[in-house]
Amino acid sequence: MTKPYIPVGIVCSQSGPYQAMGREILKSALMAVDEINHSSDFDFKLAAHVRDPHGVIAEYHTVCDDLIRNTGVEHIIGCYTSASRKQVLPIVERTDRLLWYPARYEGFECSDNVIYVGASPNHNVLPLVRYVLDNISRHFFCVGSNYVWTWETNRVTRELVTAAQGSILAERLLELGESAVEHIVDEIVRRKPPVVFNTLVGSSSYDFIRAFNSATTAAGLDIPMLSCSLCEPELKIVGPASAGCITSSAYFESIQLPENRAFVERWKACHGETSSPSVDGQSAYVAVYLLARALKRAGTSNIGEVRRAAIGNRYNSPQGPVWIDGDNNHCVLTPRLAVSNAQGQFDIFWEADAPVKPDPYLSQLDVDVRPSRGGSSLDTPHLRIVK
Amino acid sequence: MSKPSSFSLRGRKALVAIKDDRDLSIVRRQFERLGIEIDSGELDSAPERRADVTLIDDEFLPLNPTMKRTLLGGGPIIALLGTETPSRLKLLLELDPASFLVKPLRSAGIYAALVLALERAERTNELKQQVVKLEERLRSRRIVLAAVLQVMHSHAIAEPAAFALIRRAAMEQRKTIEQMSAEIAAKGSLPRATG
Repeated sequence: MTKPYIPVGIVCSQSGPYQAMGREILKSALMAVDEINHSSDFDFKLAAHVRDPHGVIAEYHTVCDDLIRNTGVEHIIGCYTSASRKQVLPIVERTDRLLWYPARYEGFECSDNVIYVGASPNHNVLPLVRYVLDNISRHFFCVGSNYVWTWETNRVTRELVTAAQGSILAERLLELGESAVEHIVDEIVRRKPPVVFNTLVGSSSYDFIRAFNSATTAAGLDIPMLSCSLCEPELKIVGPASAGCITSSAYFESIQLPENRAFVERWKACHGETSSPSVDGQSAYVAVYLLARALKRAGTSNIGEVRRAAIGNRYNSPQGPVWIDGDNNHCVLTPRLAVSNAQGQFDIFWEADAPVKPDPYLSQLDVDVRPSRGGSSLDTPHLRIVK
Repeated sequence: MSKPSSFSLRGRKALVAIKDDRDLSIVRRQFERLGIEIDSGELDSAPERRADVTLIDDEFLPLNPTMKRTLLGGGPIIALLGTETPSRLKLLLELDPASFLVKPLRSAGIYAALVLALERAERTNELKQQVVKLEERLRSRRIVLAAVLQVMHSHAIAEPAAFALIRRAAMEQRKTIEQMSAEIAAKGSLPRATG
């Protein structure tokens, strides 16, 4: 019997400033589509309609409008930046479609027409900052790209650090794509902060990491760098200079779960032995599976039915158990901390005891609760070996 | 007691007067996400209720006296606007809203409207307290002037020196200039020259 096709849109930029991440998202989403189409677990196939907005923000609305009007898709997987998601929001809300958004983001949004598959701020910023406050220093030097992700990450960091009687020593911002990082590196070498929190994105981050590594090595300084976004493909781009970065993420290639080992094996078979999946790519893969499982459960592609079917439907993904929280359409997932190594991989040294409920508005955050007290899975990471 | 983040609204109380069930359910869901306690009880027969913020649907305008009593004591007001006609806006202005939302509601915008309304209310209260203080000081200028004149005559000094003398005496006795001036004017006693 021929399986019916359900059209799905995949929207990610294959050129422009975010092309690297856009390509990761596309490769992973298509890998999931292919697996589902060849699986006997599903009595339908997904017909992927790929659109490339070329990194032009206004194009996101145009391509989604085309997908909805002319292709009849009810589900769209994609968008990377918040600016692109905001472009798509009005059209998916007006036409009652679902956007499956794979990227981790700064929170403070909750649309009924979006499933937020990536990490919420309580999954990545909180564990990282609290770990540093408890184990390294209460004084942070912040450097980041001048856009909403950095602004909000720095705001949360400042609140946590201030409540711990620490301080933000500096907050240096660069325009997206800016490569003139030397003046910031010079300042770091001069002031010798105990820790540097890097929220730069893309090429700015790669330039900064290289310059930082070179300058601090020459000066004999050992200053830990923090990140909430660095991923394996970027470690390969930066090279050995990227080693030693303490990174917070829900996904690392080195996660020792059978689901992840199988996923990485399939990934390398598709994209080459030296390639690595990224957190956002893996998240797009998870988004496609969450959608397919919800379609199967609902028995229809109707948005309301699919949304209801998706809520609470636990999926043992490469990153571990993942499910959608019905209170806010964000994903429950497991925060982890790792250190990048010279082989372009991450050594995981902490993970939450259990998957953590998303808190997109940080409404459960008590900034003056010392992480070492209390007993929720948002508590401070304590170093332990993760096997 | 733990202090929430300055942008966390958890634990706040909101009084809500919304007619449309869909709008009300959107507000309820968003308030649950934000940790806000919602009071949408009977508005026509209730006594005055305390809240940190009040949402009022323009469908209820003009408010009857009972609703005025019930709703207008409940912190800053966020108006839910269905029509932008001047006549409707005129009614709305009487509520002195701190923020507004446009109907039909979406989850987007509610958080911002709440933060702006609460912040606006706090700043307005600070300004009101400042105005009260300034009015008090304005009322006491006459007394200060009388005291300055008295010290000018008694000490045979110019106005700046007389004022400086009063100010120094007030500082030494840990009183305000106005209190010091009132004593000088009432008792005729002069501040002891120091230095």
